[in-house]
Amino acid sequence: MKTEPLPVHKRTLWSWVLTTRPKLQFLLIFIILITVFTRVVPLEMQKRVVNEAIYLRKVDLLLIYCGIYLVAVISQGALKLLINYIQAMIAQRALSAMRQELYHHILTLPLDFFRKTQPGLVVSALTTELPVAGNFVGMAISVPVTNVLTLLAFAVYLFWLNPLLAAVSLSIYPMVMIILPLLQRRANQLNTRRVDATRAMAGKIGEAVTGIHEIHGNGAYRIENTKFDGMVNKLEKIRLIWTLYTQAIKTINNFFTNLSPFLVFLLGGYLAMKGQLELGAMIAFLSAQEKLYTPWKELIEMYQVYQDAFVQYNRTMEYFDREPDYALEPIDRQPYAVRGDIAVQNLSFVTEEGIHLLDDISLSIGQGQNLALVGFSGSGKSTLAQCIGQLYRYTGGHVLLDGKEVAELSKKDMTRNVGFVSQSPFIFSGTIRENLLYGCLANADAGQGGKTDRMPSLDDIIAVLQQTGIFVDVLRFGLNTVLTNDHDQELAARVLRTRESFQRSFGAELAEYVEFFDENRYLYFSSVVENLTFGTAKRDEFNSVNLPQNTYFLRFLEESRLARPLLNLGIRLAEQMVDILGNMPPDELLFEQSPIAPEELNDFRKVVERSKKAKLGQPEEADRTKLLELALRFTPGIHKTVALPKTLEALILEGRTLFRKKISADDPHAVTFFQISQYIYSQTILNNIFFGKMKIFNPSAQEKINQSIVHLLIEEDFLETIIEIGMQFEVGNKGDRLSGGQRQKLSIARALLKKPPVLILDEATSALDNNSQTRIQNLLENQWKGKSTLISVVHRLDIIKNFDQVAVMKSGKIGESGTYDELIARKGLLYELEYGKK
Amino acid sequence: MNSNTEKNNDATTCEYTENLNILRQVDFFSALPLEAAKVLAYLCHRIHFKAGDFLFKQDDEDEQAYYIISGSARLFKIIADREQVVRDYEEGEFLGRLALMGAMRRLFSLRARTDMTCLTISREKFTKALERFPDVMPKLVKVIVENVYGWEKRFMAYRAVDCSDCFKELGVSLV
Repeated sequence: MKTEPLPVHKRTLWSWVLTTRPKLQFLLIFIILITVFTRVVPLEMQKRVVNEAIYLRKVDLLLIYCGIYLVAVISQGALKLLINYIQAMIAQRALSAMRQELYHHILTLPLDFFRKTQPGLVVSALTTELPVAGNFVGMAISVPVTNVLTLLAFAVYLFWLNPLLAAVSLSIYPMVMIILPLLQRRANQLNTRRVDATRAMAGKIGEAVTGIHEIHGNGAYRIENTKFDGMVNKLEKIRLIWTLYTQAIKTINNFFTNLSPFLVFLLGGYLAMKGQLELGAMIAFLSAQEKLYTPWKELIEMYQVYQDAFVQYNRTMEYFDREPDYALEPIDRQPYAVRGDIAVQNLSFVTEEGIHLLDDISLSIGQGQNLALVGFSGSGKSTLAQCIGQLYRYTGGHVLLDGKEVAELSKKDMTRNVGFVSQSPFIFSGTIRENLLYGCLANADAGQGGKTDRMPSLDDIIAVLQQTGIFVDVLRFGLNTVLTNDHDQELAARVLRTRESFQRSFGAELAEYVEFFDENRYLYFSSVVENLTFGTAKRDEFNSVNLPQNTYFLRFLEESRLARPLLNLGIRLAEQMVDILGNMPPDELLFEQSPIAPEELNDFRKVVERSKKAKLGQPEEADRTKLLELALRFTPGIHKTVALPKTLEALILEGRTLFRKKISADDPHAVTFFQISQYIYSQTILNNIFFGKMKIFNPSAQEKINQSIVHLLIEEDFLETIIEIGMQFEVGNKGDRLSGGQRQKLSIARALLKKPPVLILDEATSALDNNSQTRIQNLLENQWKGKSTLISVVHRLDIIKNFDQVAVMKSGKIGESGTYDELIARKGLLYELEYGKK
Repeated sequence: MNSNTEKNNDATTCEYTENLNILRQVDFFSALPLEAAKVLAYLCHRIHFKAGDFLFKQDDEDEQAYYIISGSARLFKIIADREQVVRDYEEGEFLGRLALMGAMRRLFSLRARTDMTCLTISREKFTKALERFPDVMPKLVKVIVENVYGWEKRFMAYRAVDCSDCFKELGVSLV
């Protein structure tokens, strides 16, 4: 039983039929046999009712036969249901197995495969092409067996009635079996084209979605639309002709099967006239023949499904019929643990089109040394790094890692020993922590059992966060977290203690950067609603999102003469924002200073139009709610397009006192007011420490605040906790809630956490600011020097001065190499790169 | 243009309107259509600096332009660890046009001499905002060209005569 299973892309469609839940398949055949029996029983009962019960006038026999008939019909239905259910189980099992195995296979395919393949195509192969094949696997055994057996049973019955007539009327079927495959072949060709055209379309959609920035940037809607529309039209044509053929097959089949009663009439009628056939026998014959139709139709449909599945399945598997370049895991040994000596000998890399990307490259780097690869763009420096990192399969020469040929190492050998950070690193959706541990988890997973001992400790993680400089970002994510009421009591208490020591040690110093929650002042960096309630809702209907519909609150606004001015404020805000941003793309960055979110702009545009038309400036109820909601969000410190009128400011301050009095009397448990001694659950941790909000200020002020906060958190022994909270930050789809620099820092941290003996950085710091770049450079030059062999593809020359070796590449070759000072003194290529052509 | 029914007795004009007025007076933005200027006026930030604060430092990748609303700042370059003063910038001056067009590291440092308020806009926001106004770019390029050309012309008129070393490096307008 332990023969090597075929890889998924080599398997035939039929192999799935044979291997998917064989026990269930046997059970299915058994059930089918019973079903066929239950199909013949009614015929026999029909005969017996006429011949025995009615003829002999025996009521008891009539009842018995009718009873048996009924039982047969009911069990037929029940069994059919059971068959369908089992079919579905087999089909779904097969589909899941196909999807999983194919997906697993696709992930291992070499990178150059994906350069030529649109993501949309892979998606459509896995989602829309395979289900047809899966369905077929479900019916592959049951449908033919059921129908062939049924057909045989009825055919035998026919021959038993009249051999000559049976032979003539059944002669139709072989004819059909000759004609149909001819048509089907043509339909299959069309189907193949349909699959290809559908794929091309899916690929196109995928491309447009990935490249949407470029399309918007160039306003290239028309170009893209023309391309897509052309594809859709082509697909339409193919589908139309394909449908025509499949329908033709059905029609022709119908036609021939309808011919058979005609033959029976003709021949049977003639025989009956001659007295060679009883009239009753002919009628029996006709009704039996009628029963042939359904199983035959099902067989033909099955045939079509088979052909469709066959075409789609083969097309899919052909496409992915490639072997991974490297074994995933080493066979019969543990993964190597290398020292980190790298030697490149006469390396060349030629593309399929015959372009020499790398040509006869030789260099060597000793364990713990570092090498910078520089050169003009297109000189092959990234390609060289990728060949050394096993991301591309080089076509000539050798890359030796501790004397072992890299091309022959397994993926596991590489990932255990080499950390690779690419130019535009990919961040997966999930938390920062998950992304940080991605490499470590991947390594730990397959090495069975050794899961925990390879995982870095929290101290390790924090060290790496600090080394790569993403620490500050994670800290900010942590500080910006809003704790939830139910499970963070202990945390809240610690934040409160931190608040106390903040007030003590930094309160005065940072006072100008923070707007404290002062009961007697208007807060310009808090929203109108926060200014009014000056508290946190304890019940849902007093949450700020629900307040615009809360009748109690609305009544309060009327009483305190706030309703009208707030409505006007809402109108002004909506008008201004629609006027300014009305034609802008829904980009988060452009909406940062707007009280209206990108997706709401359209709604507000309509509200503005309607309120302009509304007589006496009284918008409809629904619009009033929206405008009030907008006004309540207004935060003058951030939203600068409208000024907060002084009179309204005073009214709101008055309103704060009134609201507190009113709600304390009417509903004392609805709201808790901001108090210096209490944690505020609606605010972030940082705002809680401040007991206020940060004002907008310049970068040096930001720096100052960061330092004070870190200082404070260390003092309170609270830093690690906040970092842990920060690491729970969800980075968004492809990490789009992080900046380019944060993504790069995260990916460097991800590689460093693995502590690899070899580290390859492919322009890994290009998106970083000066300080971060210098920090990482220092880290590599000091702490990692001697521990890891470093190959760094560098775009900016100011960081390469301390490298052991600098190799300057030019059109796929190494132009010169040596230390920075040597090369500059030589006034060759590096000099040219640094100072320009002389 | 908002004709709100209720009388607005408040004299408070909002920052956005003030920003818009300022931008209309700066050569770089006065060429823009009103729609684009409005978006930029909305995207601007006012930043306060205290005397001694740096607006940017040499080698920083500082991706923004500054309009000085109030106060003054000193531009200098560090050569051999010594500060060499280049010039002062005063109220009403606008600097950093090139940083809005493309990435570069600052070759100078700018430090506030007095407490300052500046109107700043970052390249990221500037570029995003102008994506919707593709015909604006040529006008901006024209302003940049005039600035560079004007600089060299002035330089030749005043300096190139008495500084023969400078003469060899002339030709910025030919880049």
